[in-house]
Formats: sequence, structure tokens, C-alpha cells
Amino acid sequence: MAAKPIASPIPVALYPTLSVFTLAIGLVITAIFFIYEATSSRKNRSVGKELATSAVASVFLGFGSLFLLLASGVYV
Amino acid sequence: MKQSSVVDLLLLLLAIALFATPAFSDLVLSKVERRIDVNSQIARVTKTLKVVNSGSESVSEFILTFPKFLGNNLAYLSVAHSEGKGKSKRSLVNLSVREADSKGIPDSISVYSVALPKPLSKGDTLTLEVVAAFTNVLQPFPEKITQGEIHLVMLQESAQYLSPYAVESQSLSIKLPNARIESYTKLENTKLQGSELKYGPYKNLQSYSYSPIVVHFESKAAFAVAENLVREIEVSHWGNVQVTEHYNVVHRGAQLRGEFSRLDFQARPNPRGASAFRHLLARLPPRAHSIYYRDDIGNISTSEMQSDSKKTELLIEPRFPLFGGWKTFFTIGYGLPLSDFLFVSEGKRFLNISFGSPILDLVTEKLIVQVVLPEGSKDISVTTPFAVKQSQEIKYSHLDIAGRPVVVLEKNNVVPDHNQHIQVYYKFSNINLLSEPLMLISGFFILFITCIIYTRADFSISKSSPTYLAKLQWDEVLATLQEVQSIIQKCLATHDKLEASLRDLSRTGDIQTCKAARKSTDSLLKDLSKELKPLLGFLQSSPSASHISPKVEELVAKEKELEEKLMAKHTTVVEGYEKKSSGRDIENRIASQQQKIIALRQEIEDLLEFIDEI
Repeated sequence: MAAKPIASPIPVALYPTLSVFTLAIGLVITAIFFIYEATSSRKNRSVGKELATSAVASVFLGFGSLFLLLASGVYV
Repeated sequence: MKQSSVVDLLLLLLAIALFATPAFSDLVLSKVERRIDVNSQIARVTKTLKVVNSGSESVSEFILTFPKFLGNNLAYLSVAHSEGKGKSKRSLVNLSVREADSKGIPDSISVYSVALPKPLSKGDTLTLEVVAAFTNVLQPFPEKITQGEIHLVMLQESAQYLSPYAVESQSLSIKLPNARIESYTKLENTKLQGSELKYGPYKNLQSYSYSPIVVHFESKAAFAVAENLVREIEVSHWGNVQVTEHYNVVHRGAQLRGEFSRLDFQARPNPRGASAFRHLLARLPPRAHSIYYRDDIGNISTSEMQSDSKKTELLIEPRFPLFGGWKTFFTIGYGLPLSDFLFVSEGKRFLNISFGSPILDLVTEKLIVQVVLPEGSKDISVTTPFAVKQSQEIKYSHLDIAGRPVVVLEKNNVVPDHNQHIQVYYKFSNINLLSEPLMLISGFFILFITCIIYTRADFSISKSSPTYLAKLQWDEVLATLQEVQSIIQKCLATHDKLEASLRDLSRTGDIQTCKAARKSTDSLLKDLSKELKPLLGFLQSSPSASHISPKVEELVAKEKELEEKLMAKHTTVVEGYEKKSSGRDIENRIASQQQKIIALRQEIEDLLEFIDEI
């Protein structure tokens, strides 16, 4: 019976760096989303563009906040 | 009927005479060595028993007995037998031990039955190694002492080995702490060598021979007892095993009489507080990190940590020294790297972790180990080297929906000998690992969707009020303006394309492609101006756009002018090439046009900027 040790999918030491980068990218895309919301008029705003931006932003923010939790010691 | 019951009884008696008696009497213990270590608060007894079968029938069960007052305090018992002949090949094999009913044995004796590895036939010998740990057998005497007095305890035992079998030769040695010895029972063959007390050897003892002895001595050990200890072990597949331990520690030595003087204790700690202990040492696994030590008030700063590659030592000092009967509560917690404790074998994952408390020489009266597995774990099973009470719970923690399965293990009277590894087996798929990020992602996405809906929602109460209508109109004006802007930008981009075609012409001299480019831009610009017309009409008719429409018209006019100039320039250049004029000639001809074009372009861009700011 060979028992193999299990490690985390991503090395624990990488969590702080990953969280900084993914959160930064996520926040930039969020900013783009809100700038678009504020500047485009109600008539010619495209739902597709809004949904695409928000989806990408939420993926980055989601993973970023997960890595932030892990890096700060809250192992979910 | 009556007759048959009499026959039954006779058969039973016969059976007892046949089976029970030989089991007890046929075995003979040729040599018994007992060593009792009382350096800590736990009395640890190791025995080496040499068993000989002197009867005619083979025996497969061995009976181990303790006086009841010891047996009731038995915390740990393991029996091993040494395999292989000769000293070099000795390896210990653990045997199964169970508590037996004391059939035919006096009530004042606790009985344990050991299953022998193979039946012992006539004349065979077997060596058994017994390790037993007793708690609460070192009785403080006197029971109450003042701060200045030393801590004296009393041990009761039997100088002769209590056994249902006859013993040919036996000896007992008691390892006492290196301190004062008040008194001990003197029998024949009693020797005190330094801190070791020896009784025996005693030859040819009957079964159940017993001669009580009492040893009264000073103990410097910490009588630290955890009345209640809850260990929570939380597994996260993101790379951590978090251990949190809630201690409820009491000093179970002689109670403190009179008051406690901090001044005396600080000034002369040794004689004035010998019975107290100041700190506890916890030996944590290597690579333990994020260690904390706190209680209800907050962090307790009096702790020290040392770590190397083999262990992490944490010296924890409670807020006050503990005297007899004093209690303290605290919590320690630490994180452990996942790969040291979690393994996969045959498709099942298992956590391999120590059962008991990491604090040295701590007796735990009630230990509860809660192993919190990740959400989505299935087929949970536990293997422990000793019997524990098992149950399962659900715990809700961060980012949980269905809750995490918790395996709860309970055991009373736990001594450091129980610090063996337990295995918790379970099945878990790595896809479940993604549920937490997905939850966070959907949370953020819902936020964005709310924003999208909010910007589209119309919250005005009165749909017919003049301000509301004006706002609606203004919104339409803004939308039209944006469209105009985008069309103008497209026009400018087309102009750029035309310029590029001219540059290509000067480089390659290919007139045909240049003409084709001209044709396509012409049609494109025509389309764009067609699109522009209704927008301009709307802006002119709309009252709220009255102050903007002149600017827009100016913009459109300028754009037209620029377009014309550009076309003229283009025609000139193409004609020049067709007539095969020199490059300088063409340049001279278009120089004035070029200046106008640049000026117009600048004006258009200024106007666009102005509209952009509205």
C-alpha cells in the first residue's frame, strides 16, 4: 500500500502574489465596467458588452478574493 | 423437568472443573520483572512475564490481573510478545487485550484477558511485555499543603505480583524521582539504591499472593490534568490542516492551604512554591506555523517557541502559576502543511494525525477530537489503535452550503501513551474544490448584474411630469450626439485610409489600386452622410438640443469641407501621376490644400472634444 502525500493544487507560497495580481486585474476590469456604465447613454448601451466585462471581472475578483482569504490564513 | 435442570447444573459444574480450572492453574510464571516509573504524575508499569505451560493441554488465553484500586485507574494497557529467538531478532507484536468478567476471581481484582498469538502447548514458554499506565494512583499526602511546603505523594502497590498463576520468581523495582523519600514499607529483600527502590526477588509464590506496600515520597512533577480538551482538526485541501485545542487545565496535586503570596513566590521560587508549575511544554509536529496561544481575554504573550526540522516546541506559560486545585483555560492553535498529514491510497484519501494532546505529561480526563473534513467528503471511516466513541456531525464554516462532515472521537482518561496516529479515511473529488471560488465568482457577478439592472431601471414616480419628459428628451439627445460622434470618427478613419492609399501610390506608383480605394471610400462616405441626415434632423427639431445643434451643424459642415478638400487633393495627386509629373511638382500643387486639410482636421477634433464634454 503506497500512500502518496496530497499537496494543494497551487503552492501555498504563491497565494499572496496571485491574490495581488488577480485582484489588480479584476479591479481594473471592474473600473472599465463602471466607466462604461457611467459614460454610455441609456439608448446605445450594449448588454453583451456589459455582461462580458462583468463576467471577466467577477472571475478575476472571485479567484483574487479566494487567494486573499487563503494568503491571510482563512483556509476555506 | 426438574431432573433435567439438575443434569444441566452437573454438566455446568463439570465444564467449569474441566475448562476453567486448567486455564488458571496450568500456566506458571517462571519469571516476573516489574518496573514502576513514578517520575511524572502517571505511574507507568512495565512488566516482563515469562509464561510456561506446565499442564497437559494447550492454552490460548492469558489472564492479567490488577488490584481493583489500580484497575479502576488504568488508562492505557498494551501487551506485546517478543518474537524470534535470541536478543538480536526481538521484535514486539501487539496482542489483543479485552476486559474479562471476573468469573471465579475475587471482586477486588480487575481482570483482563490476553489472546495469545498461538496456543501454548505443553512445556512451551512465551515472553510477554506488558505496559500499563495508571492515573490518579499517586495520592497527595498530606492532601492540603501551604505554599512553602513540598509536594508529597503516596503510591500503593503489592510487593508480590498478583496473578491467578503461580509465580516462581519475581522482582519489583520502583523508580522514584530524585528527591526526598519520606518512608517506604520494609519487607525482606528490600533495598533502596539512590532513587530506586527494589523488592525481591521472591521465590515460589502461590497464586493470588499479595503483600501491600506504601511508598511516600516527594514529587516534583507537574500534576497537570486537562479536565476537558477539545481538539478541532480542520482539513482544507487548499493546503492546510488547522488544529485548534481548547484546554481546561487543573493542578490535581495537593490543594493549596492558606493564601498565595506573589512576593514570596517571585523572590524565592524554589522553596516557596515547589508544588506549583509555571509552564507546560507542547511538542508540535515539524513545520507547524501560525501558532497562537490565547484565552478569553486575548493573546497570552508569555510563550516561547523553538523549531527545527524534527519538531516545534512551544513553551506555554499560563497567566499565573498553578497551585493545587487551581484551574486555567486557554486555547492554542496551529497550522500544519497538508502534504505531511494527508495521503491518498487506493482511491481514498486519509488523514494520518496524532490523537492526543501535544503537551508533554498531560493527563486528559475527557478528550474530544473533532476532525472537520472538507465539504463534499463521502464514505468516512476511522481507524484507531484503541477503542474510542465515534459519532458524526455537520459544521458550517466559511463558504459552505451543505456543511462539512465532522468525525467526533471521544475518549476518557487519555495519557501520553495514547498519542498514536489515527487515520480518517474519506472520498473526495477535486472538482469540489472549485465550489468555493465559484461561489465568490457568482457573488461578484450578482453584484454586477444588479448594477446593470439599476442603470436600466426607471425610478421616476410621475411619468408625465415636465422634468421627467425633459430628461427623457435629453437622454435621446445624448444618444444621438454619441451616434453623430461615432459617425464622424468613422469618417475621419476613412479619410486616413484615403491618405494611406496616397502614400502607397507614391511608394509603388500603382494607380489602379489607388483609384479602387477612392471608389470604396466614396461609397462609404456617402453611406455615412446618409446615416447622419436623420440624426441631424432630430437634433434640429429637438428643443432641448437647441444650444448644441449649431455646434453639431458646424462640425458636420467642417467635415464636409474637409472631405471635399481631401478629394480634390486626391484627384490632383492621381492626375499628376497619370501625367507622369515629377514628385516635386505634385507636392507644390497640393501644398496649399494640405495646409487647409490640417487646419480643418484640427478644428473638427476641437469640436468633437467640445461635444464630448456635454
